[in-house]
Amino acid sequence: MSKSDSGSNPEYVNARVRARRAKLFDDEDYRKLVRMGTGEIARYMEESEYETEMNELGSRYNGVDLIEYTLNRNLAKHFEDILDWSGGQLYDQLAAYLRKFDAWNLKTILRGVYADSPSEEIEADLIRAGEFDDAFLARLLEVQDIEGIVELCSGTIFGPGLDEALEQYQETQALVPLENAVDRAFYEHLLDDAGTVTDVDSPAALYLEFLQAEIDFRNVRNALRLSRSGADIDPAEYFIEGGRLFDADELTQLVTNTDELVARIRDSAYGDDLSAALNELEEAESLIGFENALDAALQEYADHFSNSFPISVTPILAYIIAKERETDNIRAIARGKEAGLNEDEIEAELVTI
Amino acid sequence: MAKDVKPTRKNLMAIEDRIELSERGHDTLEQKRDGLIMEFMDILDEAQDVRSNLESDYDTAQKKINMARAMEGDVAVRGAAAALKEHPEITTESNNIMGVVVPQIESSKVKKSLGERGYGVLGTSARIDEAAEAYEELLESIILAAEVETAMKKMLTEIETTKRRVNALEFKLLPELKENQEFIEQKLEEQEREEIFRMKKIKDKKEAEEAELEAEAEREREAVSAD
Repeated sequence: MSKSDSGSNPEYVNARVRARRAKLFDDEDYRKLVRMGTGEIARYMEESEYETEMNELGSRYNGVDLIEYTLNRNLAKHFEDILDWSGGQLYDQLAAYLRKFDAWNLKTILRGVYADSPSEEIEADLIRAGEFDDAFLARLLEVQDIEGIVELCSGTIFGPGLDEALEQYQETQALVPLENAVDRAFYEHLLDDAGTVTDVDSPAALYLEFLQAEIDFRNVRNALRLSRSGADIDPAEYFIEGGRLFDADELTQLVTNTDELVARIRDSAYGDDLSAALNELEEAESLIGFENALDAALQEYADHFSNSFPISVTPILAYIIAKERETDNIRAIARGKEAGLNEDEIEAELVTI
Repeated sequence: MAKDVKPTRKNLMAIEDRIELSERGHDTLEQKRDGLIMEFMDILDEAQDVRSNLESDYDTAQKKINMARAMEGDVAVRGAAAALKEHPEITTESNNIMGVVVPQIESSKVKKSLGERGYGVLGTSARIDEAAEAYEELLESIILAAEVETAMKKMLTEIETTKRRVNALEFKLLPELKENQEFIEQKLEEQEREEIFRMKKIKDKKEAEEAELEAEAEREREAVSAD
């Protein structure tokens, strides 16, 4: 599905993305949304960038579900447009990141088939923002069994991993190996198109740094979850190659001792960014605050991109992340309101402005 | 009621037997009632703790799932939930507390480790883990509450029944039997008195007749001697 044969066009895509970026909700919009009820939020969205999706989905969903499906569809539309505009290496670089939605869709279909859900229900939950086109997703939705889905994916980056995991699935009838294979394939191919970095002060270096941070943070997240859960799981199974922070052996060793793991992160390049979150993690039981801090740190990397190299992949990636953040924020506000959380709680715990 | 009983000595003996049996039953039931109340008070304390834990577990679980739905999205949370294949199982056995059969619920596969929940670890977050964990704890609390509260309800029903039986014996059956006993005793005494009175009357009548016969014989003797 690569478009490497045509030329890379960051100038054109950046110009288009700049216009889209201007339409993103700003702090003032969030402040208004936090003070609204769910009906008012839907109304506010209807008068904004989300009008088309709101009108399309208004007859099928209502309340916060309408908001969530609208956000997903709008996100998909924007990311699909970006992939349509991009060519050459730029396409490959962006597609590598946006394949997270392919992984999402594949997992959603696997779970749906596993739980015998109707294909209409599965289809509603898809976010068509990745590389899989509508025809391929339709073929996946038609398949009635897990084996068929794995077979159909053989030509994609997820194929080899799924093939390996299928045997384990057939033995245990548990979806975990397949889900992990899908996520692992996404992360392992994330750096495929990052290229070789010769100049440390170049867009390619920043892009690589960001992707490595994403992999490192995913490894840290999983290591802490495994360490806290006490489950008898081999940490190496969940290690993703490509990060700067750990290798598989080191992580396996650190999982058994949370204090050492935290000390290792504190001494790393991410130590300053995550210092406050690590303090909180040492005091509190919950990992959620720490995960929020990881998200915020990743966001800082992305923000740093936007201004450094204006005509490169980095501002586009920064837009993608900002758009994802907007989706997360609006959904968080709407779901928070639905759950009866007050404005301060929503602002403090959910929204990352 | 007392009027329906035939005031015979046989009935009196039967009633006396029933009174003795009822009094013995009353004492036994009273002891059972007191024992049940003591057991109930213990279970009540436990039930109150379980109920307050259940409420706090429910609040925690709701909060965690709301947070997970807010931050990860409803679709992601539903997807993670759909990946679960091994559903919790419960088995019930019965336990006997002072004659009351109460259920004993054993649960399995409620608490799961990260690897047993079905969803992949790489693509999910701690929010989903914590929501799943909170719901597993809630389910355990619900199962415990079901056991304790069912036991409590069964004990309560048994206490009510026993109390009604004790009251029925104390305030209805025993007073009635005693009334019947008194009625029969009175009737029998009355019959006895009547009998004595009747005998006295017969005796008086016989004496009067004898006296009259004697007087007549005397008069005849006097008439013969006068002739």
